[in-house]
Amino acid sequence: MKRILLLSAGALFSVGALFGQTPSDAIMMKQKELCFALVYDHGSWDQYWEGTYLRYNQTVATLTRKMVIPMVAIGIMDNLNLLVGLPYVKTESSEPNGGKFQGARGFQDLNIALKYEILNKQLGKGKLALLATGGFGTPITNYLSDYRPYSIGNGTNEFSLRGIAQYILDNGFYVKGTAGHLFRGQTKAERDYYYNNGSYYTAWMDVPDAWEFNAGIGVWLLDNKLKLETCYYGLKSTSGDDVRAYNAAQPTNKVQFDQVGAIGQYYLKKVKGLGVLAYYNQVVNGRNWGKFSSFGVGGTYQFKI
Amino acid sequence: MKKNIIASCICAFTCMLFVTSCEDELPTMANYSAYAFSGLDANGGSWTPILLSSSDQITIATPADVTSSEYLAELASLKSDMASLNGDQRRAIEYWTNNPILRWNEIALELIAKYNLIPGPNDDGTYTLPNPAAPDGPPPFPFAHPPSAVRALAYLSVAHFDGLITAWHYKYTFNRPAPYQVDNSINSAYKQNDIPSYPSDGAVVAASSRDILSVMFPLEKEYLKAKAEQHLQSLVWAGINVDSDVVAGKFIGEEVAKVALARASNDGMKKAQCPKPVSDSIKAAAFNRFGWQWDNLELPTRPVGLTPLYGKVKMWYVPTVEEVRPIAPPAPGSDEYNANAKELVDIQDHMTEEKRRIANYWQDGLGTYTPPGHWNKIAIDFLIKYKENPLRTARTFAYLNMAMMDGGISCWDAKYYYHYPRPIQQIPGFKTIAGTPNFPSYTSGHSVFSAAGAEVLSYIFPAEASTVRGWAIEAAESRIYGGIHWRFDAEVGTTQGKDVAKYTVDRAKLDGAN
Repeated sequence: MKRILLLSAGALFSVGALFGQTPSDAIMMKQKELCFALVYDHGSWDQYWEGTYLRYNQTVATLTRKMVIPMVAIGIMDNLNLLVGLPYVKTESSEPNGGKFQGARGFQDLNIALKYEILNKQLGKGKLALLATGGFGTPITNYLSDYRPYSIGNGTNEFSLRGIAQYILDNGFYVKGTAGHLFRGQTKAERDYYYNNGSYYTAWMDVPDAWEFNAGIGVWLLDNKLKLETCYYGLKSTSGDDVRAYNAAQPTNKVQFDQVGAIGQYYLKKVKGLGVLAYYNQVVNGRNWGKFSSFGVGGTYQFKI
Repeated sequence: MKKNIIASCICAFTCMLFVTSCEDELPTMANYSAYAFSGLDANGGSWTPILLSSSDQITIATPADVTSSEYLAELASLKSDMASLNGDQRRAIEYWTNNPILRWNEIALELIAKYNLIPGPNDDGTYTLPNPAAPDGPPPFPFAHPPSAVRALAYLSVAHFDGLITAWHYKYTFNRPAPYQVDNSINSAYKQNDIPSYPSDGAVVAASSRDILSVMFPLEKEYLKAKAEQHLQSLVWAGINVDSDVVAGKFIGEEVAKVALARASNDGMKKAQCPKPVSDSIKAAAFNRFGWQWDNLELPTRPVGLTPLYGKVKMWYVPTVEEVRPIAPPAPGSDEYNANAKELVDIQDHMTEEKRRIANYWQDGLGTYTPPGHWNKIAIDFLIKYKENPLRTARTFAYLNMAMMDGGISCWDAKYYYHYPRPIQQIPGFKTIAGTPNFPSYTSGHSVFSAAGAEVLSYIFPAEASTVRGWAIEAAESRIYGGIHWRFDAEVGTTQGKDVAKYTVDRAKLDGAN
C-alpha cells in the first residue's frame, strides 16, 4: 500500500495546486523506488463567480482547460521523498462565443516538493501516519498570468507547506486530511497600470496567499489493488479583490472555492508496478473562480533502481 | 538522515524568503515630493485663457495688507495650526505637495479606471445603459470609456489652466507675499519661492477639481468633497497660504468650474449615445455609401455601438470635424485590404513575446484608465522630471487633453461615417489576444489619441519628441498585434491624430507662454 504514487482526487485549482496534491498524500516511496505518473485532466465551466455572484458570460461561453501532467516521485529515503511535476496546459472558449479571444497553451510551473514522514505507527486497529511537505513551484515559460480566464497559471513563485494526517484501519478503510498554506509571490503583467480597489502604477501584481484544505474517506479493496475515495478540496485566498461587474478576472483576485470529487485507482495484477486512475471533481461553491467540472485519467508506473 | 531534514528545512525557508522578499509595497501613486519649480512664470497672468475671456473675468477682492490686524490674526492661526500637526495632517501635506494638479490628475485617472466597466447584458439579453439621471444604476453612471474619459480630463485640465491664469494674474497684481516671507519663523513644508500667495493656486485646483469631477463622477461626490477639504486645509498646514489666500483661490476654482461645466453641459455629449433607430440609420447610410458596415459580434448583440454621435461633440480647436476626416479605407477585397488581412492572420498565427507585450502594454482596455489616461500618466512623469510649476502643469494637461478629445471626436466621426468592419467580422475564424471594442474599426482610437497626445508633449517637451512619437507609433501598432485593427486603421489614425493636434499646438503657440 505504501508503494505507489497517487494523485489525490482533490485539487484541480491551478495546475500547480493539482500537482500540489501529490505532496498532500500519505503515500511514500521506499528508498530507491521511483514512480512515474502521467495524467490527463479535462476541466470546463460555463458559469463563474464574479465576487460571490454566479453568472454566465457569453463572451467566454464555455471555458475548457486541458492539462497533461507528467510527474515523478523518488524515494530518497524510506521516509523522505522528492516529487517533481510539470503540467502542460491548454485553454480555450467554446464556439460560438462573443469575445473571439485566443486561448492559451504552454508548459506551466515546475513543481518540486519534499515529503517527509514524521510518524507511521500502529494505533489501535489501524495505522496513523503524519507527514509534512514543503513545495516550491516556479513558472518555466513566459506565459501571461494577466490573461484570465485563459491564462494557464498564476505566473509566480509559490512556496507551500502542508501537514498531512491519515488513519487507516487494518481492514482497508481510511480517512485523511491535509491543511496547507500557499505563499505566493508577485506576478508580472505586461502593463504598468491596473486597478485593484485603487490605482497601481506597476506591472507587478500581488497574487494572494491561500489556505488549502483537503479531506478524504476511502477504502482499499481487492487485496490492496483497488482504491476508492471521495474527497473534498478547499482553497481560500487570504486577501485580494473581487472580479468587477462583467470585467475580466486578474491575478490579484481573492479566489476561493470548495470542490467535491471521487477517485479510483487500480494496480494491474499482470504488469508489476503499473497502475491506472480516474477521477471526477465538481466545484460546488466559489468566489472569483469558475464552476469547474473536471475529470482525469492517468497511469502510474513504479520500479526500483 | 537528520542532516537531510535540516537541509531541506533550510532550503524550504530560503524558498519562502525568496517568495516573500519581493512583496514590497506596490506604488499606488506617482513617487515624488514637493520640489523647487524650474520657473515661476511671473507673467502667467497675461497668458490667454481657454474659456475665460480674460484673466480678470473672475474678480476677487483686494487682500488685506500683511501689516493689517486681520492678516496678522490669520498668520497667528496658521502658526498655531503648524505647531500642532498630527500624523494625518503631516501625511496630507506630504501627499498633496506643491504641485497638487498631479494628484488631482491621478484621482481622475483612478475614477476613470473604477468606472471604465462596460455594462453587461441583463438576464433577458437586453442591455441597460448608464443613466446620469439615476447614476446608482445598475449599471452605475458613467461608463468611463475613452471618449468619456478624455472629455472628463479635458474639462478638468481646462478649468485648472484658466483658474491658474486667473490666480497668477491676481498674484502678481496684488503681490501679497507668502506667509514664510512675511514671518521668518515660519518653516513651510514645501520649497520656498517668490510666487505671491494671494490667491492660493492650490485652492483653485482643489475647488475646481472637486466641482468638475463631481459632475463627471456623481457617485463620488462625497469622496471628492473630503479630498478637496483635506487639500484646502493642507495649504495652511504646510505654511504656504493663510486662510484668505485659500478662500480667494477656492472662489476662483468654483467660478472657473462653473464656466467649464457650462460648456460641458452643451457640448453634445448627452446625445452621443444615440438610440437604436438613429444608430441604425447611421449604419444604413454607411452601407449605402460604401457597401460595407460594421456589426457588433458580442453575445448577446449590443444594439448600439459606443457613442455613435461622439463625432458631433463640440471640438476645442478644429472648426469643423469634416476638415480632419481621413480618406476612405480600402474596400474589402481590394489588394491593400487583402494584404492587411493576411498580415493580421500571420501575426496571430506567429505571435511573438514582443508583439504580445506591446499589445498588452498599450491595451489600456476595460477597467483601466484608457489610452488618454495613459498619456496623462506619461505627462505626469515628464512634469515631475522637468520640475514644472502648477501653471505650466495645467497648461500641459489642458492642451494634451483638448488635443486628445478633439482627436477622439475626429476619430469617432470617421468610425461612424465609414462604419468599417473589424477583423473578427471579416476574417473567418479569426481570434485575437485583445478585446474587440463595441464600435467600428476605422480609424483606430488608440492611434489617434496617442498621436495627438504625443504631438502636444513633443511641443511642450521638445527633448522628448522622438521618444513620445515612437511610443505613439508603438501604441498604434499594438492594436494590429492585438488583432482588433487593420494596419490602415492604425496608420491613418496616427496621421489623423497629428493633423488634429496641429490645431491645438498652433493655438498653444499663441497663448503667451512661449
